[in-house]
Amino acid sequence: MISLILLKLFTFSDSGLVNEDVKRTLDLSSHLAKITAEIQLANHGASRVNGFTLALEAELAPHLFFNLSQVKGEEEEDESLELKETTVHGQSGKFFEAQLPSSLAPGAKLRVKVETVFSHVLKPFPTHITQAERQLVVFQGNHYLYSPYPTRSQTTRVRLASKTVESYTKLGNPTKSDETVEYGPFKDVPPFSQDAMKIHYENNTPFLSISSITRTVEVSHWGNIAVEETIDLRHTGAYLKGPFSRYDYQRQSDSGISSVKSFKTILPASAQDVYYRDEIGNISTSHLQVLDDSVEVEIRPRFPLFGGWKTHYIVGYNLPSYEYLYNLGDQYALKLRLVDHVYDDQVIDQLTVKLILPEGARNIHMDTPYPITRSQDELHYTYLDTFGRPVLVATKNNLVEQHIQDVVVHYTFNKILMLQEPLLVVGAFYILFFTVIIYVRLDFSITKDPAAEVRMKVASITEQVLTLVNKRLGLYRHMDEVVNRYKQTRDTGALNSGRKTLEAEHRTLSNDISALQARLKSEGSDLAEKVGEIQKLDNQLKDLVCRSCQEAERLVAGKVKKDTYIDSDKTLSGKRQELVSRIDSLLDAL
Amino acid sequence: ASVSGFLSLLSFTILFLAWLAGFSSRLFAVIRFESIIHEFDPWFNYRSTHHLSTNGFYEFLNWFDERAWYPLGRIVGGTVYPGLMVTAGLIHYILNLLHVTVHIRDVCVFLAPVFSGLTAVSTFLLTRELWNQGAGLLAACFIAIVPGYISRSVAGSFDNEGIAIFALQFTYYLWVKSVKTGSVFWTIGCCLSYFYMVSAWGGYVFIINLIPLHVFVLLLMQRFSRRLYIAYSTFYIVGLVLSMQIPFVGFQPIRTSEHMAAAGVFALLQAYAFLQYLKDRLTRQEFQTLFFLGVSLAAGVVFLTLTKPSLPPLLRYAKIHIPIIASVSEHQPTTWVSFFFDLHILVCTFPAGLWFCIKNINDERVFVALYAISAVYFAGVMVRLMLTLTPVVCMLSAIAFSSVFEHYLGDDMKRENPIKQHPFYPVKNSSVYSKLIVTMLMLMLLMMFAVHCTWVTSNAYSSPSVVLASYNHDGSRNILDDFREAYYWLRQNTDEHARVMSWWDYGYQIAGMANRTTLVDNNTWNNSHIALVGKAMSSNESAAYEIMKSLDVDYVLIIFGGVIGYSGDDINKFLWMVRIAEGEHPKDIRESDYFTPQGEFRVDKAGSPTLLNCLMYKMSYYRFGEMQLDFRTPPGFDRTRNAEIGNKDIRLKHLEEAFTSEHWLVRIYRVKKQENRQALDHKLRNIAAKQKYTSKKVLPSRFH
Repeated sequence: MISLILLKLFTFSDSGLVNEDVKRTLDLSSHLAKITAEIQLANHGASRVNGFTLALEAELAPHLFFNLSQVKGEEEEDESLELKETTVHGQSGKFFEAQLPSSLAPGAKLRVKVETVFSHVLKPFPTHITQAERQLVVFQGNHYLYSPYPTRSQTTRVRLASKTVESYTKLGNPTKSDETVEYGPFKDVPPFSQDAMKIHYENNTPFLSISSITRTVEVSHWGNIAVEETIDLRHTGAYLKGPFSRYDYQRQSDSGISSVKSFKTILPASAQDVYYRDEIGNISTSHLQVLDDSVEVEIRPRFPLFGGWKTHYIVGYNLPSYEYLYNLGDQYALKLRLVDHVYDDQVIDQLTVKLILPEGARNIHMDTPYPITRSQDELHYTYLDTFGRPVLVATKNNLVEQHIQDVVVHYTFNKILMLQEPLLVVGAFYILFFTVIIYVRLDFSITKDPAAEVRMKVASITEQVLTLVNKRLGLYRHMDEVVNRYKQTRDTGALNSGRKTLEAEHRTLSNDISALQARLKSEGSDLAEKVGEIQKLDNQLKDLVCRSCQEAERLVAGKVKKDTYIDSDKTLSGKRQELVSRIDSLLDAL
Repeated sequence: ASVSGFLSLLSFTILFLAWLAGFSSRLFAVIRFESIIHEFDPWFNYRSTHHLSTNGFYEFLNWFDERAWYPLGRIVGGTVYPGLMVTAGLIHYILNLLHVTVHIRDVCVFLAPVFSGLTAVSTFLLTRELWNQGAGLLAACFIAIVPGYISRSVAGSFDNEGIAIFALQFTYYLWVKSVKTGSVFWTIGCCLSYFYMVSAWGGYVFIINLIPLHVFVLLLMQRFSRRLYIAYSTFYIVGLVLSMQIPFVGFQPIRTSEHMAAAGVFALLQAYAFLQYLKDRLTRQEFQTLFFLGVSLAAGVVFLTLTKPSLPPLLRYAKIHIPIIASVSEHQPTTWVSFFFDLHILVCTFPAGLWFCIKNINDERVFVALYAISAVYFAGVMVRLMLTLTPVVCMLSAIAFSSVFEHYLGDDMKRENPIKQHPFYPVKNSSVYSKLIVTMLMLMLLMMFAVHCTWVTSNAYSSPSVVLASYNHDGSRNILDDFREAYYWLRQNTDEHARVMSWWDYGYQIAGMANRTTLVDNNTWNNSHIALVGKAMSSNESAAYEIMKSLDVDYVLIIFGGVIGYSGDDINKFLWMVRIAEGEHPKDIRESDYFTPQGEFRVDKAGSPTLLNCLMYKMSYYRFGEMQLDFRTPPGFDRTRNAEIGNKDIRLKHLEEAFTSEHWLVRIYRVKKQENRQALDHKLRNIAAKQKYTSKKVLPSRFH
């Protein structure tokens, strides 16, 4: 058996690579297991090596969320390597092939840093705790670096979340101080060696994970990018057993210590109109803080999240498009984050991204920072859309904080299309007003209503009568002024000319009114009689005006005394007033 | 022509502004809180509208809701007035067809404010028919802002009344129009509007009684005309057929007594018309008059006997001996204060308008007089029916104001200024001053009315009641969102089919917000089921456990206001639970057990032991005895009832606390599953051997 493995080993390591020195750090202080291995690779073979293989244990591989390998150059210039998944015959686990930027000469050495992040590998044990209990978790891993190459020397350092450790495996007498356990150094470890490491310790950090998130980005060329994230959140720590007591939770600080009360979401600095809500409305327990380089939302779910509890919410905001949308003529490029920060050390089980581009965008091309599954494009209809906006849909599973990277979408868009929506509104209003005009101006009734027509005609005639009568009354007032002036200046010529104009205008007006009266009569309206009455009264009124005129003449000529004149003028004006009021009441009745 | 154009532009502008003012004064709650459905019933309406818009109309009509009234369920399609949901669903559908992607919730929230504008327009039309254009515009302005109507139509109050008042006013407008013209066209319009009203609100019975009453009174006043005959005959037949199309109404219009008055008047009208026809041929005048008198007397008796035992079902609510109806605050008789509170100056001026109408009586003014008198009566019986009084008060007050303004402003406007100013025609100075004073006074009154309306709307009618707010000393606001916190917890963290027991007030909210099965809800159709829940709440824990087990209850939800001093909580409602439970289970529950010997309802040490050990008390005060709210009061001090609770050491055997909201307003208990049966001691099986069996194979060997 051993020889078989050795044979494998030799067949594999015929490249001659050897892990000279390995420093592993297992960071178990949060709900993630972040394993960093700094490896010094040496080429002991005879030929140059262009790449090397990374291996992951079969037990951990399904929980891998992120894997990054960096070459540490001499000048401290880090460079990420591209990883390609491969398989190794006869070995379980997951394998990645890394290509080196420049091949490694025989005898040369290279420092590589491998970062891996695992989620859901810290298992709560016991799986159910009460509100007062603390959360204990078990980590099961490997003491050694799982590698296809032999390892000369290695140390493993484990960082825990607290001092309380129930138990840990004691391979090679590890030293424990406060929150760390150090293993090793182990010398000359053969390839693919595994030795179960098991640490059982207290970890009260929030075990939050996002079971699904849908991120919708709607781009408008009018200057706005609307982002909305629909999030399903779950506490994946130890389940709450028994009752939840609000009294204990409020009064004792360590009650429900592993529960999640709130967390912070960091949004872009230019985020505006942030909202935080769910199906039943706004969640009022949140705070927003605008910082220089970001906007921080303190997200407090409606209720504290205990183990096994979940919640669902929506966070949305607007971004100005000039920061994220670039264009050259008709060519546009949208550059923004594929997935954004939700909380520190976030774990996303499933991500769906929907990018809604403006209506009429063509030749769409998406550049993603890491491979992502594209689904069928969709069409989205919203305000004033006619043929729909293209929607790019993409999904990816297992993401962590390191996946917060930019995506670039290129597309072409004809700027003329910007006018389409305003024109649509203008057109709609135009049609509306036009129909109103048509409806008001044209008669759509099937039958003619003669009574209504007559009524309308009569109304217009009476209106004319009204204006004419008022004008005639105005003439009398004008005449009075003339008489008054005459009394002062004693200019008979002016008086005579005034009288003449009065006569002439009065005649034309009276004629007009009688013509209208005749028309009223022909329409069969009883208003004609009233108009006739007005005419009669007017005749009397005119006589009075003439008489007052004559009286004034006589006064000026000295034919009457001033006293008698004043008396007669008084009676005349009294009569006139009575006549005018009668005419007015008749006019009112019209 | 230009003057009439100017006038119509002015009317249009005023109506538009009234609409706008009415709409915006209903937005206080949206601006202060958010776009959210209010209160209790609107949550059910919202939920069914949501169901309608997602599953379509036929699915909605056939909807059997297994999430309500567990284990009975509820046939929603057949027990609901669908007008509201269909209206909102239709608006949502049309908007979405035009790619205006609004959420159905926003349609529901803003439906009532939009319809208040339509109500203003239809009130304008009706008043214009009754009096004139000016009065119509005043009435439209009044109804747009009057608190009596706003109380039922603020944004978020998605209730039947919101659209029903529009339908009511519009039906009356079309009725008046058809009586005036005698045209079948208007009558058919009236029938369609009546159909809409029937589909929207149970208050349609008001129409189907008021219109026959109008016809009857017109007959008594010898105002029979061919127009009336055409209008009523058409309206009765077509309206009857249309109203029977609503599943919830069904055959009621030809069966129940509250519709019989309409049928009686229909028959009477036919007989009267026949007599009129005969009158031309008969000669003996005296005989005819005698005959007429006899017939009308008989008809009157018939009308009264038909109506009396069945005063419209609006009234039936008022039967006080049903505790479940009496327990609702809006079914209480109206106080004098609330008349002034809801109508302000209009309540003083509307009798004047009524007097104007009666003084210059004609067919349609008879109608408005009857409308006013009957509405005043109903509003006096029940607070809720203030709503039907409000429109007629607005119309009649508008008539009163309009007549006053016409009298005191009219002359000055018609005559041109030079006439007055001229020394030859001096106008009496005293009259100018009196006009000025009267006009100013009236304008002052109207201004105060507007101020009062805004104040009442803002302070009394704009609280969502789902979200509470309190103000600190510095004016900053605290939002108490406990209801949604607890409902959302239920929605997220309980089994999808979990059954939640609570008092019926919260049934619709649990169904709408928590999306869980409830036992009883605000559609209080099954009194005995409610009584069973009441019995569980008022029994001791182990008796309650038996009931809860038989009803498959998983969670119990109660409202407890003792921490923040919220007075509408379950302990304050508790006596109603006891009364309703006693109505069905008089042997087990007696109201007197829950009072002290002095006849007081107390939660402190002096309280009755039955109360101190019943389930509701235990759940409300579980672990509250340890809680000290401030330093001046002892632990376990209930702020709502201002008493230190009497039973501080509460232990629950069959329930456990599942969730309590931040301010303890909502408490949810989990009903424990029955424990496994007690294990017996392990014993080896011991069989007492009575007979010795021996193998038959051996037997023969003996004989060897």
